[in-house]
Amino acid sequence: MNKVPIDEILNKVNGIKITHKRKTRIRVDVDADSLPTLLELIKGRASYIHLSAITCVDWIADNQFELVYHVWSYEEKCLISAHTRIDRGSESNPAKYVSVYDLFKPADFFERDIFEMYGVTFIGSPRMEKFILTEWNGVPPMLKDFDAEAYVQETFKWTDYNPDWLQELTDQGGGIAVKPEDIRTAGNTHNMSTHRERDKAKAAAVKANEKMQGWKQ
Amino acid sequence: MKKINYNDKGSILNPLKNLQFYARKPVTEPLGPRPASASYRGFHINDLDKCIGCSSCQKICDNAAITMVEVPSIEEDASKGLRNLRPAIDYGRCCWCALCVDICPTSAIEMTREYVHVCDGDETDSYFIFPKETGIHGDSFEKGWTKTEDSDLLDRARRPMGEMEPEARIDNFDEIVDGFTMEMAIEEASRCVDCGLCEDACPAHMHAPNYIRSIYEGNLEQAVEWMYETNPFSHVCGRVCTHICETACSLGHGEGESDPIAIRWLKRFAMDNVSKTKIKQIARKGKSRKKSGKSIAVVGAGPAGLTAAFDLVKKGHKVTVYESLPKAGGMTRYGIPNYRLPKDRLDQDIEVIQSVGVDIKYNVKVGTDISMAQLQKDNHAVVMAIGMQMGRSTRIPGSDNKMVVKAVDLLRMIPKGDEFNVPKSAVVIGGGNVAMDIARSLARLQKQKYNEVNITVSALEQLGKTFLADDDEVIESKEEGIVILDARGPKQCVIENNKLTGLETVKVISIFDEQGRFAPKYDEENLQFHEADMVVEAIGQMSDVSILGDELTEELEWNRGRIQIDGNGATSVEWLWSAGDMVKGPDVINAVADGHRVADDIDKFLNK
Amino acid sequence: MRPENYQAVKLGQSNEYEIFIGPNHPGIEGNYAFRLMLDGDIVVSGKADAGYLHRGFEKLMEGRLWIQNLAIVPRICVPDPAPMEVAYSMAVEEIMGIEAPIRAQWIRTMQLELSRVAAHLFTFGGHAATTGMYTPMFWGVADRDLVLDLFEDFTGGRVYSIYNIPGGVRRELPPEFLQKLSNLLDYLESRQNDYDNLLFTNQVFVDRAKGCGALTQEQALELSVTGPNLRACGLAYDVRRDDPYLVYDELEFDIPIQTAGDAYARILVRRDELFQSIRILRQIIERLPSIKGKIRTPIPNPLSWNVRKGEAYARVESSKGELAYYVVSDGGDKPYRVHVRGPSSMHAVQTLEFLAKGARLEDVAQIMFSLDACPPEVDR
Repeated sequence: MNKVPIDEILNKVNGIKITHKRKTRIRVDVDADSLPTLLELIKGRASYIHLSAITCVDWIADNQFELVYHVWSYEEKCLISAHTRIDRGSESNPAKYVSVYDLFKPADFFERDIFEMYGVTFIGSPRMEKFILTEWNGVPPMLKDFDAEAYVQETFKWTDYNPDWLQELTDQGGGIAVKPEDIRTAGNTHNMSTHRERDKAKAAAVKANEKMQGWKQ
Repeated sequence: MKKINYNDKGSILNPLKNLQFYARKPVTEPLGPRPASASYRGFHINDLDKCIGCSSCQKICDNAAITMVEVPSIEEDASKGLRNLRPAIDYGRCCWCALCVDICPTSAIEMTREYVHVCDGDETDSYFIFPKETGIHGDSFEKGWTKTEDSDLLDRARRPMGEMEPEARIDNFDEIVDGFTMEMAIEEASRCVDCGLCEDACPAHMHAPNYIRSIYEGNLEQAVEWMYETNPFSHVCGRVCTHICETACSLGHGEGESDPIAIRWLKRFAMDNVSKTKIKQIARKGKSRKKSGKSIAVVGAGPAGLTAAFDLVKKGHKVTVYESLPKAGGMTRYGIPNYRLPKDRLDQDIEVIQSVGVDIKYNVKVGTDISMAQLQKDNHAVVMAIGMQMGRSTRIPGSDNKMVVKAVDLLRMIPKGDEFNVPKSAVVIGGGNVAMDIARSLARLQKQKYNEVNITVSALEQLGKTFLADDDEVIESKEEGIVILDARGPKQCVIENNKLTGLETVKVISIFDEQGRFAPKYDEENLQFHEADMVVEAIGQMSDVSILGDELTEELEWNRGRIQIDGNGATSVEWLWSAGDMVKGPDVINAVADGHRVADDIDKFLNK
Repeated sequence: MRPENYQAVKLGQSNEYEIFIGPNHPGIEGNYAFRLMLDGDIVVSGKADAGYLHRGFEKLMEGRLWIQNLAIVPRICVPDPAPMEVAYSMAVEEIMGIEAPIRAQWIRTMQLELSRVAAHLFTFGGHAATTGMYTPMFWGVADRDLVLDLFEDFTGGRVYSIYNIPGGVRRELPPEFLQKLSNLLDYLESRQNDYDNLLFTNQVFVDRAKGCGALTQEQALELSVTGPNLRACGLAYDVRRDDPYLVYDELEFDIPIQTAGDAYARILVRRDELFQSIRILRQIIERLPSIKGKIRTPIPNPLSWNVRKGEAYARVESSKGELAYYVVSDGGDKPYRVHVRGPSSMHAVQTLEFLAKGARLEDVAQIMFSLDACPPEVDR
């Protein structure tokens, strides 16, 4: 069989954008409509038979999900990552996409995973059901609008310690100043508000003290 | 390697061959903990003296295991960058990844080879530990994972700042420092650990971590926005600030070669690369739309006065600034030479302040052209921010000669363009930055006029030890051909036939007495004569408080020659506040901080 | 699922009955359940039930700084944690457009191969145990411990090395380390006869393992089976050779294959691979001292480290098969998305369900362990 260059095969798909990232990595961007055709083409005509993974990325700002199909060819020794974007949907109208189970059996696992973690329904996938989080009734947890940190803070209780050394420091007027949660719940580490608040309080105390001892009183 | 064929059936006898183990020596392991390896990540120790409380360990901890606790017995000093916070570790969360060790700017926190801790269910408090020089159980253990040059997560070296060569700069007043390029600035900004020690140290509490972060992200306008929250003199401070922030910087506390972030140069970079129009827009942000109907007079258009005016105008008050000189800026214009602070930069800062609505009246001398009483009558409040414009005298014999001059007077004459006779040789008395400024300015003028430099600086302090001027100033002065004589006290100005011939100095034995008071002791035998056409005194400045008028002077309370103020800058007279050098001593950033403080207090007073 | 939430399958008039393997079972490397429908002792169908080890790593990683994730990733697979750190670091490096210094790449390769040795020893023991032989299990675990001693020596941690960092590795090798490594390799080779006698050529084991859980090459490819499991079906495919990373293209090694595709073929492939790893390590011992230079390419201070926009799919060959990290950055100080493609997610779910069908109950544990599936790679 004559070997057809991969670009030629890929270019049969309408509106495709091909990026050769390096020797063993090709990124292609296609419409959601053309993706199944693309996968069929590269599997049937270019030996890309190994579905390495399907990744879902939640681009919440664009209100879209990005689906990435990583397909490997044992003969070409190359990985094609096919990117496509679908509408993110809403709680009442969840995102939908077609399954590629008929092309790649392992899609069963990956699609079920994405269904569970992102709430995307794959039409034609054999097992659109819960798998890992069988007892979870909240929103799909990998969505960017699910705040895992907040959930943990609400659900679990931190252990309160009161060792002797801490008691001693508290008696001296010191003790716990900045808890790790204070920094974490601020959402990012570039927030020194905790120190600022503390310093402000201190400065106020100093000021008050000065006034007291000042000549005005 | 022996091949095994899949089709071989194996043998039932093969396992029996291992009966030979009965003849082998049994493997025995001793009970009790085995010593851990030399780089083991075991329990933590923390050198409480090295630790500065910067909290980087807490921020890098991926398991939120580190709580910062306040230890009152430890010294806290914002200007040195010392907090009394120390890390305490929750071993219920720690995963012993040692990122805290590798990020620690001062290498204070380290790990030992100790790894056994057993406790009962009701002893969970023992999981929360406060590491000191000894580990979890108070025992000394050998160190395990410590920071190495490879594992250090911080970049210790500052990006070098380009400077004009001495030959190129000596005959002109062009700015010496090149400034960062975008790439250098981003690299320099990327070193910041965001500990906020700089912010604590800064008298005006500039949000340095925030603007450094914005610069790192390439968002210079955002950076400038952060700066204008606290400092309308950002161009000036980006060039000549005394940068206490850099002294406090946690990176500068590191062992060995470890440079603090070049916070001042980063500020300069951001200011230089945002357009004036944009800066004006930024400066206007947060200006009150409502007019309060109150008016305030500010005496002196220096950093303190203008900062107070800037704040008050933004709060909706009407502010008039009275300046005796033809241009605004105070000491930053008439005290700092152009090669350190180009005047167009200062002009821009002032233009921005004016654009917000501050009205400056030039060439109006309060006390002569308009009296304090008049100001009080016309306004709801008055701010005195006249700075320190009179040089102090050494009062040594001969210092009343007309060729013995004060540094501040000379420095004022140069930017004004006043003519004076440039001396062929001069001696400067004093070892501070003002002494360096005048020495280097005179050197430039000499080079222009006579093509050679002949300046000697004579200072009480010892170079490299107690010397007052910045190291950079000393290095650059020497490069420019200035001779610095340290540890020498002035004895007399030698006058022959009413003409100055030079200065006689003696060796300094000590500067302070046992109580720490200024009382220099000299070795009178060790005399030296320095020939000079001019002697410049640069030993300090004071305020010209005569403008207050007798009545007001009488009414005010005083403290060692300065007006007595409270923490907010209010004087004992209800309508009068005072700010800046005249009450706090010479420093731009302190003046700016003072301006804010006074403005806040006046606003509160007016809204009562 | 929790016992109180379990509802028994209603089977009506059938002879079939339901049985759980796991979630705590020595037949699998971790907590994982497998629900079987049995007719007599023949499996009618099996259903994988995951979730007992779900710690939400992918979600956690989105909330942590790039560098903080280094402490998390090795936890995804306990028996073979090194490939996790390396793959994550490689993905981040690719996005940043930097490369680890050559010496660091050699050290990483050494770490990966050592980890493979440890993981295979563990698997030998586990596989043997599922056929009722416990001595190889003790041996496997004890010999793995000697490898862990070396990890402790050069990485500072026995199991979770946390030794890699985007841009290189965190620490230089301690003095005399290569000599210690060489001694260990000598020891492991000296153990070959013991293992062969007790396990690989033990007729009891051979009879049990042959024909158990056989997979044809076509089936394996269809199910995206990779690693030793695929090589046991006759396809000589190895990411190390076919999509080379680090310094594998400078090393000589063979890719052992078997054709039968059953449990015995799989463990023989692993046995041969162990010795290939020893061969690779010997080459590293020889070459590493002459490779001088830095071990880290500098990265910005990790607290203010924004990785530029981009994505990368980094693949490595772990002891279980093709391990991949898909990392997406939106230019922020934390990853926007990290997807962990563990080889076991293919082996422990669909492949296991497929192989269990028609097998006898006593073989199910062996099938599970012979696939060397690591449940946390499924749960993540």
